[in-house]
Amino acid sequence: MNQITRCALVCAALAGLSPAASHSETCLSPYIKGLRQPEKVMYVWMLPAAAGQGRDVLAVIDVNLASPTYGKILKRVQVGSAGNEAHHMGFTDDRTRIWAASLNTSRLFIFDVSDVMNPKLAKTIENVPKLTGLSGPHTPYAIPGRILVSMASGPDGTGPGGVAEFTNDGEFVASHAATNHPYETVIKPEFNRMITSSWVSQKTFMSPFDKWDPKDSTNTMLVWDLKARKVVQTLTGDPIPLAARWMLKPNAKYGYNISNGANSIWMFKMEDDGSFSYRKAADIPYACAPGDLRQSPDDKYLYVSCVAGSEVQAWDISDPEHIRLVDTAQGFVQANMMHLTYDGKRLYVTNSAISSIDYSKRYMMRLLQIGPDGRMKEDQRFFIDFSKEPDGPARPHDMLLN
Amino acid sequence: MRRLIAGPALACALAAHAAPESAVSANPNLSVIARAPEFTLKDTAGRAVHLSDYRGQVVLLAFIFTTCPGVCPLISTQMSALQAGLKAEGLFPDRAKLVSVTVDPKTDTAEVLSRYARMFRADPAGWSFLREEPERLKPVLKAYDEWTRLLPNTKGWLDHPARVYLVDPKGNIREIYSLAFFNEKQALIDMRVLLAEK
Repeated sequence: MNQITRCALVCAALAGLSPAASHSETCLSPYIKGLRQPEKVMYVWMLPAAAGQGRDVLAVIDVNLASPTYGKILKRVQVGSAGNEAHHMGFTDDRTRIWAASLNTSRLFIFDVSDVMNPKLAKTIENVPKLTGLSGPHTPYAIPGRILVSMASGPDGTGPGGVAEFTNDGEFVASHAATNHPYETVIKPEFNRMITSSWVSQKTFMSPFDKWDPKDSTNTMLVWDLKARKVVQTLTGDPIPLAARWMLKPNAKYGYNISNGANSIWMFKMEDDGSFSYRKAADIPYACAPGDLRQSPDDKYLYVSCVAGSEVQAWDISDPEHIRLVDTAQGFVQANMMHLTYDGKRLYVTNSAISSIDYSKRYMMRLLQIGPDGRMKEDQRFFIDFSKEPDGPARPHDMLLN
Repeated sequence: MRRLIAGPALACALAAHAAPESAVSANPNLSVIARAPEFTLKDTAGRAVHLSDYRGQVVLLAFIFTTCPGVCPLISTQMSALQAGLKAEGLFPDRAKLVSVTVDPKTDTAEVLSRYARMFRADPAGWSFLREEPERLKPVLKAYDEWTRLLPNTKGWLDHPARVYLVDPKGNIREIYSLAFFNEKQALIDMRVLLAEK
């Protein structure tokens, strides 16, 4: 073996271990240590079906196919308070903790998952509006040693929100003002750019759906200089641009987001001058009310859940400027949050959005197997019915795997 | 027994470094994140080094191990480039320091660390490689949230949080970088900004 071959082999081996190669786990912050093996456990953040009553729960589900308890809830870790409205979660960069946000009380819960099968509630951050000047925390998103939390509104639940920054163990660092109601965060470190999507204020999303004021919704995405924590560009499109995904390939300059308010998919793209263009990539062909957007690890497919349309859609994005709907999985009443595995082969789906808009009579988690062509088929071996929880029916929302 | 792999890794790191550069920000937000936990460790000559010895200077603090197959040699390569940049601006070694702490003191003896430092052309006047016996190092690693665990199915390679800390002249952590996305040009700007603070 000559020296060049030897070096190439070593380089290949090293590349396989470098963090840059660990980012194939989709829809998480690129700073998080990636899961590069089949999942063994799933964490589900859920609230009682009787909203405002009972404690929110981090459920631990066995998703190891070889396990005799496959598909069963193994453990339920309760928080010490009620009425929180469990919603989204995020790992810290080192994957040892999960931050779980609550929409109604704005409490932030930190679970220690260093023992992956036995999460423990390590800390509860109370009085978040007073601490941060912000309310309605939506998505915790890891940066090195810290968590950014997109917050919908000001401290009284109205007006524009921002992004709150904490250390991994829950010490407040700073708040960064936004001009809209931040929903979700995506970061591309190569470009020092962060994009936050938007939705409505806390006061609106915690009101009954028929009381939502359309004027309170925002239709903007903010482009931030990540290091400066400053908004450098506002992208204007369709209303309520919820989930956003930046393509995973290193130096990929584009990504997509869904517009819940206009049934559309939008594309954001960094142009040669560093500014971003923003255009509609596709209309979703009927009243879908998209709730979540997931991406395949090879940047070839997007998956869209339809909260109103009760289906999951697969979109082929291999031609980025001309995306097309290629498959649907139907009968998923109020499909909402999804989680795709590191290999792009398994897509877990839950069906509770927020207690204020939920209409499903039954809450569940189902599994779609994904073929190499992006097409979906329900796995009948996996089905979890949350109407039979020991403390009463529950609404499952966000999921994470370990 | 694990071997120092920095030779081939350095070549790979240099090759990887030829990839497109990350963008930098001229006006970084460097909020106080936390007080930098104090430590006392030993340099490769066996002298005690306290973090507080660097008060009045800005410090870039990296946790590494010499048998690391991936990001550690890359970060050391980038710190070498940063050392050159700081020297060119007249900040190194008097106003800016670089510190590399091994998380694997059993393998990384003082001799091994010295050899590693030479490989990256570390100037001992301002770039220290520190270690301590495992039991004494343990609380320091814990204070910086630097756990280690053996990676399965490897030749004893370690997994650890891939972070680099920037400490200001008052002893506060002002930035935490990811090793994977570390950009020495941004770090140079950040250090310059901290040194310009009154």
